[in-house]
Amino acid sequence: MLKKTARFLKYLFLTIVSLISVFPLVWMIIAATNKSADVTKGTILPGGYFLENFRSLMNSDLQYLTAFKNSMVIGLVTTVLAMIVSSAAGYAFVVYKSKNRERVFNIILISMMVPFAALMVPLFRLFSKFRNLGPLKLIALNTPMAVIIIAIATAFLIFFFRQNTRTFPKELIEAARIDGLGEFQIFGRIFIPTMKSTYAAAIVTTFMTSWNNYLWPLIALQSPEKRTLPLVISAMGSSYTPDYGMIMVAVVLATVPTALLFFFMQKQFVAGMTGSVKG
Amino acid sequence: MKCRKGTALLLAGSLALGLAGCGSSKENGENQTAEQKLTIWAWDEAFNIPAAKEATEIYQSNHPGAEVDIVTMAQNDIVAKLNTSLASGSYEGLPDLVLIEDYRIQGYLKAYSEEFSDLSDVVKNEDFASYKTGINQYNGVTYGCPFDSGVAGLFYRTDYVEQAGYTQEDMQDLTWEKYIEIGKAVKEACGKDMLTLDPSDVQQIRMFMQSAGTWYTDEEGRPTLEGNQGVLDAVNTYKALMDAGIVKLVSDWNQFVSAFNNGDVASIPTGCWISPSVIQAEDQAGKWAIAPFPRMGENPDSVNATSIGGAGWYILKNVGHEEEAKTFLKETFASSTELMNTLAEEINLVSTLNAASECENYAKPQEFYGGQKIFQDFAAWTAEVPRVNYGESTYQMEDFMKEILAQVIAGADPEEVLADYQVQAEAALGQ
Repeated sequence: MLKKTARFLKYLFLTIVSLISVFPLVWMIIAATNKSADVTKGTILPGGYFLENFRSLMNSDLQYLTAFKNSMVIGLVTTVLAMIVSSAAGYAFVVYKSKNRERVFNIILISMMVPFAALMVPLFRLFSKFRNLGPLKLIALNTPMAVIIIAIATAFLIFFFRQNTRTFPKELIEAARIDGLGEFQIFGRIFIPTMKSTYAAAIVTTFMTSWNNYLWPLIALQSPEKRTLPLVISAMGSSYTPDYGMIMVAVVLATVPTALLFFFMQKQFVAGMTGSVKG
Repeated sequence: MKCRKGTALLLAGSLALGLAGCGSSKENGENQTAEQKLTIWAWDEAFNIPAAKEATEIYQSNHPGAEVDIVTMAQNDIVAKLNTSLASGSYEGLPDLVLIEDYRIQGYLKAYSEEFSDLSDVVKNEDFASYKTGINQYNGVTYGCPFDSGVAGLFYRTDYVEQAGYTQEDMQDLTWEKYIEIGKAVKEACGKDMLTLDPSDVQQIRMFMQSAGTWYTDEEGRPTLEGNQGVLDAVNTYKALMDAGIVKLVSDWNQFVSAFNNGDVASIPTGCWISPSVIQAEDQAGKWAIAPFPRMGENPDSVNATSIGGAGWYILKNVGHEEEAKTFLKETFASSTELMNTLAEEINLVSTLNAASECENYAKPQEFYGGQKIFQDFAAWTAEVPRVNYGESTYQMEDFMKEILAQVIAGADPEEVLADYQVQAEAALGQ
């Protein structure tokens, strides 16, 4: 009997906590179906204004769909390139030995401690020169590549891959070398498939970081048709009389891609974050 | 095997996407330099942006074929982008015309006055409300075209006030002491609070100070917390409101708006720009009126008019279209009463252009406010607002003000606290 009561209390507690944590999400969806005046009044019942809010979002000058597409392109390309570059770097830091390996790695770690705000002006100056430097034009300001390029080799990802590579059995690499595989083949055919869950975790975090990235895209992207979602949503909120219903529709739609990605990769993500690797 | 093919496909696909993205961006980049297109940055899709659009129409009717690109951005984003670009000396992507808030502009003019156009031949300062011309000049040169008035009024619920035994005449030209007295009566009669206050946002102090013609800093930019009667009275008035038990505390803009939309407060002492938010509660039509902003009775300098918010248009002269941008301002915001008339109707703009008070739409009674001609009233109060130079440290000083208020409300002696913070502020501002 005592056990039952304990169980009941445990579940009651968990239910309350999950209701509290889910509430903002639910409220966001409800608010998307109400008109602005009702949102400010704090209505907690779904209304019938979703389509109207959606229409005003589509008719707004802010080019929401373009921003959605831009965010998608930048997010996907960043994620794919970051996986290649950062995982190769993390892998190399463990597998290949050299005298200055630890020193280089420490420098990379130190770079994590410099706040981005301090780098912003120098970075902007640097990127503003690229327009006139031949092929570097491809990563000049106001191009998606300007946002992508600085996100593909981050200290965090390299560190993350290095830590996880340490759990990767060395014997596998040696066995592959004996079987005559080249170094790239070992990386591509043995390492990547074995470390799926690590990659999944890295993909989710990288895509999410890119999707939510605010400061650098704000500075680097100039024309309205290049802007990403966070910038457009931020522009909507800055108003004496914000249209909360419309903003909520924008936010709900912006949540969908990361939510889907997370649901698809949930299992691997959790495994990757907790660091268990199975061969 | 299947997995590897998938990966390869994903890789190839994303590279193609990335390159496609680059390709199109290159074209646009080239187009941009070729075009003679004016770019305008502003915030607020419901207010500044429609204003810029109307102005563009006027400009285009005078100059057929002229192209104008209006970009909506959050105000803080504009600040961040301007800071980065101006600090790095790179003009790529900067706008020709930009809207800058009155509280911030002096900082820009001090640091980057050579980046802004001298508008002396475009903007005639005597055409605008005098309080606005304390802000758009630096070293005697006019750099900005004043835009919206932040003139404040006392929005109040006529029904609550009448229930408490006061008439609309009683609400005119109040002092804060009288306001508190009415507030207590309203609380007793209707159980409603008189106003909202947000401890994290001390706009009220700004309004109190300006009504007495003073500010956090003096003309030279030195902090004037100690020995400034206006600041002391502002702090005392704030405390008196808090102590009277007539305040509903809110923590953000959303709660502030919802409080009066829900009918939880009897009045809103704030800028005229709140009107569209008040009107959106259609069920309260006819129950609101607007009176002049209360003054600080114990302060002889304090008048029944003040301002909160407001902005002006500025031209970045090194971006490349200085002359076109000047023409744009000259034909629109610097002179056009026709534009101001349209904007009064469309976005409830209270203009700072003196001639706007003659506009046809200014004389229209507003049904929501029981037939009050609110534009004429606001225009009249705009002319009364004391002229103040906001300097460049408003937001920095405001961080101190929040701490000061917290201590004073907790019971500390206002004069002592202000003296304490005077020392801190001097150190922080490097005076």
